[in-house]
Amino acid sequence: MILVNKDPLTFLYLYGYRIGNEYFVTMWSRLKKFFIETGDLSFFAARYFKEALKPPFEFRELLRQCYQMGNRSLFLVGITGFIIGLVLTLQSRPTLIQFGAVSWMPNMVGISIVREVGPVITALICAGRIASGIGAELGSMRVTEQIDAMEVSGTNPFKYLVVTRILATTLMLPILVVFGDLLALYGSALVENIKGGVSFQLYFNTVFNALNFSDLVPATIKSFFFGFIIGLVGCYKGYYCKKGTAGVGVAANTAVVMASLLLFLVDFIAVFIADIFYEL
Amino acid sequence: MENKDQIKYKAEKPDLGTVIEIRDLRKRFGDNHVLNGFNLTLKKGSNLVIMGKSGSGKSVMIKCIVGLVAPDSGTVKILGKEINNLDREAMDELRLDIGFLFQGSALYDSMTVRENLEFPMRRHKKKLGINKNTEPLVLEALENVGLAHAIDLMPSELSGGMKRRVALARSLILKPKVILYDEPTSGLDPITSKEIIELMHRIQKIYGTASLIITHDVDCARVISDRIILLVDGINYAEGTYAELSKSTDPKVAAFFKK
Amino acid sequence: MAKTKLENLKLGIFVVVGTVLLVIAAYLIGNKQNMFGKTIPISAIFKNANGIQLGNNVRFSGINVGTVKRIEMINDTVIRIHMIIEEKMQRHIRKDAVASIGSDGLVGSMLINIVPGEGTATHIGPGDELKSLSKVATQDMLNTLSLTNINAALLTEDLLKVSQSLTQGKGTFGRLLNDTLMAQELHQTITNLKHASSQASSMIAEMTALVKQVDMEKSAAGVLLKDSISGEKMLSIIAHLENSSFEIQKMSENLHSVIGEFKEGKGTLNYLATDTTLVRQLETTMENVTQGVQNFNEVTEALKHNFLTRRYFRKLEREQKKEDKKAVD
Repeated sequence: MILVNKDPLTFLYLYGYRIGNEYFVTMWSRLKKFFIETGDLSFFAARYFKEALKPPFEFRELLRQCYQMGNRSLFLVGITGFIIGLVLTLQSRPTLIQFGAVSWMPNMVGISIVREVGPVITALICAGRIASGIGAELGSMRVTEQIDAMEVSGTNPFKYLVVTRILATTLMLPILVVFGDLLALYGSALVENIKGGVSFQLYFNTVFNALNFSDLVPATIKSFFFGFIIGLVGCYKGYYCKKGTAGVGVAANTAVVMASLLLFLVDFIAVFIADIFYEL
Repeated sequence: MENKDQIKYKAEKPDLGTVIEIRDLRKRFGDNHVLNGFNLTLKKGSNLVIMGKSGSGKSVMIKCIVGLVAPDSGTVKILGKEINNLDREAMDELRLDIGFLFQGSALYDSMTVRENLEFPMRRHKKKLGINKNTEPLVLEALENVGLAHAIDLMPSELSGGMKRRVALARSLILKPKVILYDEPTSGLDPITSKEIIELMHRIQKIYGTASLIITHDVDCARVISDRIILLVDGINYAEGTYAELSKSTDPKVAAFFKK
Repeated sequence: MAKTKLENLKLGIFVVVGTVLLVIAAYLIGNKQNMFGKTIPISAIFKNANGIQLGNNVRFSGINVGTVKRIEMINDTVIRIHMIIEEKMQRHIRKDAVASIGSDGLVGSMLINIVPGEGTATHIGPGDELKSLSKVATQDMLNTLSLTNINAALLTEDLLKVSQSLTQGKGTFGRLLNDTLMAQELHQTITNLKHASSQASSMIAEMTALVKQVDMEKSAAGVLLKDSISGEKMLSIIAHLENSSFEIQKMSENLHSVIGEFKEGKGTLNYLATDTTLVRQLETTMENVTQGVQNFNEVTEALKHNFLTRRYFRKLEREQKKEDKKAVD
């Protein structure tokens, strides 16, 4: 029994070969990779919390990253939000007119933007912009040994690079979501104003009448998690970037993919929890 | 060039004789045995060159010295302290005395040359007693590498040679007792390489540091080395002065020195 | 350094503006739910909460003044609904105000309407309990009424058909009465009519009782008529009632038999009509009646082809032919 010394995973792997099931083998190796990745990411997150709570704190770098991630993304988030609001309203109008419910537009658009569309679109835009940016930046720093250089210079690169970035995205995303929501509502109000002759005051009044704390609070809490996910995945992919310039590209690319996927997962969980919470 | 300050600086730190001592260093990555019992002793003020093929474990060895890579077994003593037992704090303190020149310069892309040079000081300002104004130190280090005019440029605006010199200035700024050079001339044209080698030579005279140089550049080894260790398959293969090794008849040694 | 300062300034503006916007949004939402301004708690007891939920609006004379805070089940028929209302509204709401549960538009959420009282009682204070209009009783009554009404309408329709056939066959009235089947039917119809009339009158009596109740308590009348759902239902029932009554009247003129009973009803209707809010409804009712007459004619036409009467009309035709033949002979 040569298999006795092997770990269960290897045993299954070899067993897979023995029954000659190629499909099973590749499936299993993929699954194994997935679990390893999940475990690595969890350790990375745990390390983040450990390092984030321990002094010294890199306030100046944190501010710099907040500026990079917050202010620099504002334009993109704003434009996207505005267009989403505009399009959502334009597309819903014909249907609502059919039902004679076009006066419900502010309620419908307002709630869908504040609850779901605003946070998710902003987070996806930021996953595209920030997660890939972090992935590429840290990746190239890893490849060109800048991270090692920091370590040697007596600065903890994890604190200086990772903690500041994750914290910055976590703090900035909710604010970006607020701006995104506002511009989306503005875009929607603009359509209603031009096409339906609804005044801005009436529009926003209706929106805020329709909204509840149960719409705003979970969405805001969710945004923090979105920000955390974006920073975490970007840093994780960049920090453990494979050597070579190709590695940087892979890091940036997988950071976006993984961040987007995790965002939807977190969103699903958040909606699920919020639902249970407000059912009570 | 040697001014009073530097003499004073040197006098403050006791002469420990041996700066770096490595005993039976082993490291493997998976099934790849990189280091198989490497030994090394670096005396104060001397220049030791480690030569070896790519993948012979030179870079891993030098990273073991500064704690970037944890060895599987063996001891690394720097200035009499065994680094395996040090916590992060003590290690950072020890790193004050070690300068490290990375293979690709490793300048921080997002910072100016000035910020790059200030970076190693940010953690140690109190310990070093440096007041808020770091300007004189930065300028001094840059002048030593002849790049005082580039102080406000970004690394992307510098040529490869200039980058290497800025990186050198950065590793010198805390006036370390030992500087580790990881392939100081790699990726540079022969003329620039020569300039860098001369600069290393001069700086060593100014600061009186010990140097550990990893290279496969024979010219570099010839100019700068007091002694050379030849690293083959993760273990000391041959050791001696440039003159001794270059005359060696051992095929593996000769392979390095023939032009 | 200057660059860093500028960046920090911009970041500061960004963060402050974002946070302020979030706070404003939270304030606007919270303001709607009276989370911030000074409020006082009041309550009212209902038999049926009618699906009211926490956070539903409380309206006083059509203005949002507060929200539902808690719904407490005291026993199987007593539900206490706790509300908070704006403190500044305290001086407008008196202790004799009446609370009722209504809905905001056709598909809107439920809400609590508070209707002002006579205006002589003192102002409400924190913890006061308002009188409530128990919607359940009213609604139950209205439901019975509408059922009666439907029955009456059906019978009336039957009657209309028959009476119409009678008037159509003017000259042959005697012959019709001799036709045993038809006579039996007519007899039945008249019985039905009598039944309907008595049902209508009892219904009208019920209505009168309701209206009297309404009259007795002016505030309750206000509630009933202002409350969109019950008001509309009431009006539609009255409309139905009137519709049938009108039809009955028209028919009665043909039959000259049930006028007396009806006149009593008409008196009640007139009484109702003096209530200004009903006048408009009456007008539309008149229109409906006119339309009803038109329908009536159509129905008559259809009746000619109905299997029940078809035989009779054929018989008429045949006899006509016989007479013609005799004349020729």
